[in-house]
Formats: sequence, structure tokens, C-alpha cells
Amino acid sequence: MPESIVNILDIAIGGLLLGGIYALIAMGMSLQYGVARVLNFSHGEFIMVGAFSTLTLYTVVGINPLICLVIIGPVIFLIGFLLHRTLFHQLSLRAPNADAYAASSILASFGLLFIIQNLALLGWGADYQAYTYLNFGVSIGGAIFSANKLVILGFSIGIGLIFYIFLARTRTGKGIRAAAQDPATASLMGVNINRVLALCFGFGAAMAGIAGVLYSMRIPLNPAMGTQYTIIAIIVIVLGGLGSIPGAFIGGLILGIIGEVVTSIDPSLSMAAYYFIFMLLLLVRPKGIFGK
Amino acid sequence: MLEVSNLNAFYGNIHVLWDISFTVKEAEIFALIGANGAGKSTLLRAISGLLLPASGTITFLGQRIDHLSSNEIVELGLSHIPEGRKLFTEMSVRENLEMGAYTKPAWVQKAETLKWVYEIFPILKEREKQLASTLSGGEQQMLAMGRGLMSRPKLCIIDEPSNGLAPRLVLEVFKVIKSLRDQDITILLVEQNVKHTLETADRACVLENGRLALDGTCQQLLDSEHIRKAYLGL
Ligand SMILES: Nc1ncnc2c1ncn2[C@@H]1O[C@H](COP(=O)(O)OP(=O)(O)O)[C@@H](O)[C@H]1O
Ligand SMILES: [Mg+2]
Repeated sequence: MPESIVNILDIAIGGLLLGGIYALIAMGMSLQYGVARVLNFSHGEFIMVGAFSTLTLYTVVGINPLICLVIIGPVIFLIGFLLHRTLFHQLSLRAPNADAYAASSILASFGLLFIIQNLALLGWGADYQAYTYLNFGVSIGGAIFSANKLVILGFSIGIGLIFYIFLARTRTGKGIRAAAQDPATASLMGVNINRVLALCFGFGAAMAGIAGVLYSMRIPLNPAMGTQYTIIAIIVIVLGGLGSIPGAFIGGLILGIIGEVVTSIDPSLSMAAYYFIFMLLLLVRPKGIFGK
Repeated sequence: MLEVSNLNAFYGNIHVLWDISFTVKEAEIFALIGANGAGKSTLLRAISGLLLPASGTITFLGQRIDHLSSNEIVELGLSHIPEGRKLFTEMSVRENLEMGAYTKPAWVQKAETLKWVYEIFPILKEREKQLASTLSGGEQQMLAMGRGLMSRPKLCIIDEPSNGLAPRLVLEVFKVIKSLRDQDITILLVEQNVKHTLETADRACVLENGRLALDGTCQQLLDSEHIRKAYLGL
């Protein structure tokens, strides 16, 4: 294969990988914001916790990161679910109206951000840490890709699609979509709204955690790493259209590919490019790709 | 079947329902009429658990429901078809109907129930795959009613189903409501269309400024001087 094609393929795979991670993170945030109505600024911290837990489970206990996925995903889901049941549900009971709840829940999520980061500092220290897993080359049509890249890509897109099918086809999935559109009417149909909100918060946290498990195979970890992903998730859900789950998925893939292309030109420009796209969107199409 | 007694409800500090008491008997159409802003929708919202009453009791099939949440109440067999249809506009007609069968027992028999609802409203079957937002006003009202029936209710409370419909469709809606009663579904109907309502229902009560002003059989109300003057313009 000519080198230029290999390069393009490499950027495409890298872009989809990054995009798959972004898609997961953004779908998670979209569930928390679009259904549970919490703009969760500690979203990135769940990525960080997923990533560090994988590092510890793999390097200390010897559990393979793909097995970590099925342990850490459910555990973080449960943490998110319980957080909503206790903290956010209590805040919503105390808020006189939706605006007051929007404000108090954002403040609470900032509080969570600092608490989780500080606990991580205490537990894992401030230094960058990394491990290697499946870090060998696989040849696809003459081009060589590292195996973990392909695994991350497959899992993130697969999990995103499975969740999408869950929302589209299952009873609970339909209940979640109905609750997102009109909670009062959904409850008249028999949807237990408090349960659905907590479920969505839990699913959102689990998606961040799973993204962390997957991406930890490729990046150095540090307790402060989460924040930039929170910002990226916000950019993606604006890009995809606030509250739209398919929008978050597609938007994530698009931003990932843009990120990879920009990185191939100059790695230090990727965040700047994201902000640029964000500004442009807010000016030109604030409702995003799938927004209504 | 449904017994409301001494019910009081507020929006914030505003006292909207004052000491409301009435009873709906099995397999009848009980109508609740009253001017705009009288508190009819508020009363229905209190019954179906969307609004917590400040005092008073609501008993459905012998069980207190005034402190249950909406999702628990629909499971007992009480379906509230809300004012303004409140469809899930981003879902298809079929999915809206499926949402109506969200409670576990209804979900199990939803294929069968769907057939029944399609018999009542054949147009919904034709529109099955369309988004609810693409339906005409009359079709949307039929979908709202069909969705409300998907839970296989024993009591259906329907808030202003004829609102905004062409006269031909109004007749159609009243015909369906009668046929439901004939299938032993009890109906609590809120309407502004007083004449049609009193000709369709069995008994009725009148809500004025959040208080019950009158109640009785529809014939008694049709004969009442007050009703004839204030609501029928006679
Ligand atoms: N969500 C609300 N908050 C505050 N007041 C309300 C609300 N909904 C209705 N009201 C007021 O309560 C009264 C009764 O309203 P409603 O029950 O909708 O009347 P109806 O259905 O008979 O037209 C009206 O004065 C209305 O303005
Ligand atoms: Mg009303």
C-alpha cells in the first residue's frame, strides 16, 4: 500500500478510536443532562476513576483490562445510581423550581469534581502513570495498527450501539425516552420517574467509567485528567444537539476524527480546534446537528 | 369505584380546589363540567397523582390513592388521558401506544390490547409508523385516547377530548366514549362542550371557582335553571 494511503488509514482509525471514546463520554453526559437534568461537571472524574481503577486492577491484581470493563462498568453504574438517589434527588426535592435545581445540581457536581479528584490524589498520587496492554502491531491490508487501538475502537462503538438499541427497543429504554420528553406524562403511563432519572445518571456515569477503562490502555493517567473530557463532552453534546443520544454518538465520532486530523498536523492544536468548532457552532447552528 | 372526599389542593399559596366531594360509580360516564380555570384539570391531576392534595381523601376500588405516585395509580387500573393530548411527539404512533402499556401487567398483553385499540381507532393502524407529531389534530386525540386505553384501565379519566376538534370528530369522540362505557370501562369526563356532555353522560357535577356547585343526573342538570342560563345559553 502507498504510504499516503496508510497514513490516511491510520488517521481514520485513530480518529474513530478517539471518536468512539468521545461518543461514549458524550452519550453519558447527554443522558445525565437530557434526562436527569444534571449538567455534571464531575463527568470527567468518572473517566479518571475508571482509568485508574483499571491500572490498579491490572498492574496490582493482574486482572486483564477487558475483564475490568465488566467489573468497573457496573460498579460505577451503581455509584452513579446511588449518587442520584441521595444527593441529586434530595436537591431536586429542595429546589422550588427547575431553574433552581439546574443551579444547585451544577454546584453539587463541582463539589463532586473536587472530592473525587482529591480522593484520587490521595490514593493514586499526582504523578502520571501508565501501563501497557495489547500493545503489539496487527496488520490490516498491509497497514500496521496497535491491537489495543482496534480493541478500544470496537468496544466503544459496540457499547454505544448496544445502548442505542437498548433505548430504541426495550421497555425501559422507551420509558427513558418518554421521560426525557415529558416526565409528567411518562409517569401517567406508569414510568417511575425517580427510578428512571437515577438509572440515567448511573448509565451516564458507567459510560464515562467504561471510556476510562478503555482509554487507559493508550494514555498516561493523572488525577486531573478528567476535566478536559468534561469540556469535550459538553462540546460534543452541543455539536450533536442537546439531549439527542444519536447526536452525541455521531457528534463524538465527528469530533474525534477532527481531533485526529488536527493532531496529525500539530498535536498541541487539538483543544484549540475543539473550542473553535464550539464557538462556530454557537454562532451558526446552536441547536447542533440533530437538534430541534 | 372512585370516591373523592373533602379534597383541597393548592398551587403554591393559591387555593385551587375547595372541599370537593363526589363519587363515580362503576360503568357510568360521570362528567365534570365548568368554565375555563374552574379547576377541572387540577382535580384530575390530583386524582391521578400528578398533584399532591393538601387534604382530603381519594379512594379507588376501596384503596386510598391520595398519597400514591402516578405510576402506582395507573397500575391499579386508573388511566388519565391528559388535557392537550401530551403525546410523545418524537416517538412513532406505535411507540406512543406501547408507552400506554408501560405497566408490567399491561406490557405482557400489549399485542392483544393493541388489536383492540386498532379496532376502535383504525386510522392509528394506518399511521402506525409515523411520528406522532405528523398526525392531524383529530388523529392526535385518538392516539391520546388509544394510548390511555393501552393500560387496560377500569377507570378512564379524560380531560377535554373534544377541544379543538371539528364537529364531526367531536361526535366521533363521544361515540367512542359511550362504547367504552358499554365495555364496562368507567369514565370520568371533563368537558367544556356542556350540551353534548350532558346528553352523553349518566351523571355530572359542576365545578365553579374550585368549588362543587351542583351535581346530579344529567337530566336533572339539563333541567336546572342555572345550567340552562350559565352553560347552555338558553
Ligand atoms: N401549574 C399551575 N401553577 C399555578 N396555577 C395553576 C397551574 N395550573 C393551573 N393553575 C390555575 O389553577 C386554576 C385552575 O386551573 P385548571 O385546573 O387548569 O382549570 P380548568 O381545567 O378547569 O380550566 C386556574 O386559575 C389556573 O390559572
Ligand atoms: Mg383544564
